[in-house]
Amino acid sequence: MGPLSSLRVIECGHLVAAAYAAKLLADMGAEVIKVEEPQGDLSRACGPFPGDEPHPEKSGLYLYLNCNKKGITLDLTHPRGQELLKQLVARADVLIHNYPPPQMAPRGLDYASLSQVNPRLVMASISPFGQEGPYRDYKAYDLNVMAAGGWAWINGWPGHPHEPPLRAYGYQTEYQAGATAAMVVMAALLARLRTGRGQHIDVSGQEVVASMLEMTYVFWPYMRMVAVRWGERPIHPVDFFQCKDGGWIFVLCVEEHQWQSFVELMGNPEWAKWEVFSNRLLRAQNYDALRPLLEQEVRKWTVDELYRAANERKIPFAPASTMGDLLRSDHLRARGFFVTIVHPMAGRYEYAGAPYKFSRTPWELRSPAPTLGQHNSEVLQGLLGLSEAEMESLRQQGVIS
Amino acid sequence: MAEHGKGPLAGIRVADFSWVWAGPFCTLQLAHLGAEVIRVESMRRVCVTRMLPPWAEDRREPNTAGYFNQYNQGKRSILLDLAKPEGAELAKRLVAISDVVVENFSAGVMERFGLGYEELKKVKPDIIMISMSGYGQTGPLRDYISYGPAQVPMAGFSTLTGYRHWDRPMHLGLSYGDPNAGLHAAFAILVALWHRYHTGEGQYIDMSQWESTIALVGDALLGQQMNGRQPPRLGNRDPIMSPHGFFRCKPAEPGTLPEGLLPEDRWISIACRTNEEWQALCQVMGRPELARDPRFATLEARKANEDLLERIVEEWTITQDPWEATRKLQEAGVAAFPPLCNKELAEDPHLNARGYFVEKEHPVVGVRKHGGIPWRMSDTPCEVWRAAPVMGQDNEYVFRHLLGLSQEEIERLRQAQVIY
Repeated sequence: MGPLSSLRVIECGHLVAAAYAAKLLADMGAEVIKVEEPQGDLSRACGPFPGDEPHPEKSGLYLYLNCNKKGITLDLTHPRGQELLKQLVARADVLIHNYPPPQMAPRGLDYASLSQVNPRLVMASISPFGQEGPYRDYKAYDLNVMAAGGWAWINGWPGHPHEPPLRAYGYQTEYQAGATAAMVVMAALLARLRTGRGQHIDVSGQEVVASMLEMTYVFWPYMRMVAVRWGERPIHPVDFFQCKDGGWIFVLCVEEHQWQSFVELMGNPEWAKWEVFSNRLLRAQNYDALRPLLEQEVRKWTVDELYRAANERKIPFAPASTMGDLLRSDHLRARGFFVTIVHPMAGRYEYAGAPYKFSRTPWELRSPAPTLGQHNSEVLQGLLGLSEAEMESLRQQGVIS
Repeated sequence: MAEHGKGPLAGIRVADFSWVWAGPFCTLQLAHLGAEVIRVESMRRVCVTRMLPPWAEDRREPNTAGYFNQYNQGKRSILLDLAKPEGAELAKRLVAISDVVVENFSAGVMERFGLGYEELKKVKPDIIMISMSGYGQTGPLRDYISYGPAQVPMAGFSTLTGYRHWDRPMHLGLSYGDPNAGLHAAFAILVALWHRYHTGEGQYIDMSQWESTIALVGDALLGQQMNGRQPPRLGNRDPIMSPHGFFRCKPAEPGTLPEGLLPEDRWISIACRTNEEWQALCQVMGRPELARDPRFATLEARKANEDLLERIVEEWTITQDPWEATRKLQEAGVAAFPPLCNKELAEDPHLNARGYFVEKEHPVVGVRKHGGIPWRMSDTPCEVWRAAPVMGQDNEYVFRHLLGLSQEEIERLRQAQVIY
């Protein structure tokens, strides 16, 4: 039993943000009831799918994000659906959703009325631009939030001014907004121990992204400099190189001693003594000359050979891992990172495991993601006490599927 | 002296041995939530973020570093030499009156200082300690060192992300593994505080930055097993939306851009998921006939003709100012927004109206417009109570007030270079 096993969490919305926040809680033991629209969460359409054939119960994104949860369907735009949501909220500690502000009221997602049903409710609303402000009703998906938060502008490869800003793989702004929401929910639950009251949490995706731009944001208030994605790197080498086995390695010499160790590792080639490469700033200024020389050297190694040899000398190179590399990693295996889960329709796969290992209160994957509406009767009849006749009526009205 | 102590974590004290970005990003969250965070800084090993640009007006010294000052707002700082036995002893006394210890050194460093979990547990049995090294505390690579930028390729982002026509790994524009690890670590600490409240037990948390970053590509790991290959690089495209990308806009008028920007480097992000959104885009583009064109009528059709579709959309955007196009598209219900640069972020009317930015007086750099807290809480509001500390700003508060050292003891420890 995880440390959060006394908590009941209601999750609703689409794609990643609310689902990831609730996953973090579920994996530490919370009982999560995931409320899907009768058509299902959009993540059921994202894949990846076995054989690339779309199937709502076999989408990799949905399967990954929804282990450990009970799944029910409810049409929240229907008055009966809203009423049942209220009954669930009355029996819950937490409600997490990522419907944007214009879609909240039509679904009964209103803190003022939900907190009347349950004054101890902690409700987290995750949205692209937050609950207040001039853009609150703007529509935005992950791509647009990456743009609005300032990340897209700086993502691309140095030296290529004609390429557009680039999206990161997956729905990363949603993962970060979700992790932020889960953290603030826990803080609100800790505060509730003292105050006895719940509260409403407003998480803005734009602000979450803007708050993690490393040092690029502060170049403006500190030096009045605009950061650009196509600007050359100020120090080198910090770049990808292809090895003789076809894989790629990230060559990273930030400190001078790391470069010196790398030069030794390369067998002290004559060119490494040239004045034009004598410090990290000069290596960046003369990188057009340096890169081909390094390409020749790196190509003498396999990724694994160079990775290990470099790290033995405290040079922090890293492989550009493929998913296959991760699944084969001795280190991740030795730490027991992967967890095998069997899903009744999708089958047996190894899932990414715990992001942290607690000494006393283990993270665990207990059950696969729910099929659409799998726990309708367990939750609506078992928890809320609906009769079979009421269930049938809900089905006929399309409130549940 | 300004007081901290608002927010949901008021009354929680954090002994913060972390440095660079991942650990300080974790303790920034705790400070935002109202915890008292005391950074234990070192003269021997000055935090990397104090030694990197940008410095205020390029005055290159540790207290003017914007990188440090952004991610250490609302924390206290003491300067202590942990390599000296008396320094480690003082650190232990701080731990004895703290609730949480955070560190992100390579595995084994805290043990070498005599500050491993087993030792700290002796002075504070219910302490919650998190170690957040690159590879974690166990496993064959536990002693490898890890720099922030390396987590992005290690976790697989570099082979999953990229322009579709470039067959080479890409980075993400920031050391993404660091803030991600910081957030996950802060969440884990709060879970452990919940457990402590209910049982009285502290615990140790071993967090691997690598593993917490892989947690963001769990779908791709399943894809690899389903099909024997990982999802292809999609560039700016998306499996369930089309069009979906950055489209080039009308070049800026000469002289209207800040120095360093190219006039033609103007873009808008546009994403259509539903057919209604696509039809609305057609109306705004002044191409109503496309809304009925079977080549684009459904998501499947738009995906099948996506190259052509993107050319058509860009034929329109290249005639448009990005902000004007955003306004028109949003009015029509289409998701669109320009990619903001750092200057545009600082000036963004929405972020400013929400009170996102923090402008607190810093002893050396004065008032700077820093990024603030990306959430709001209705019952326990959070605020940044002061700017980031200069090195050792809180020596007096911590050594005299919290630990009760006499002025003579402090003077002796200064002479012995235990305290700076």
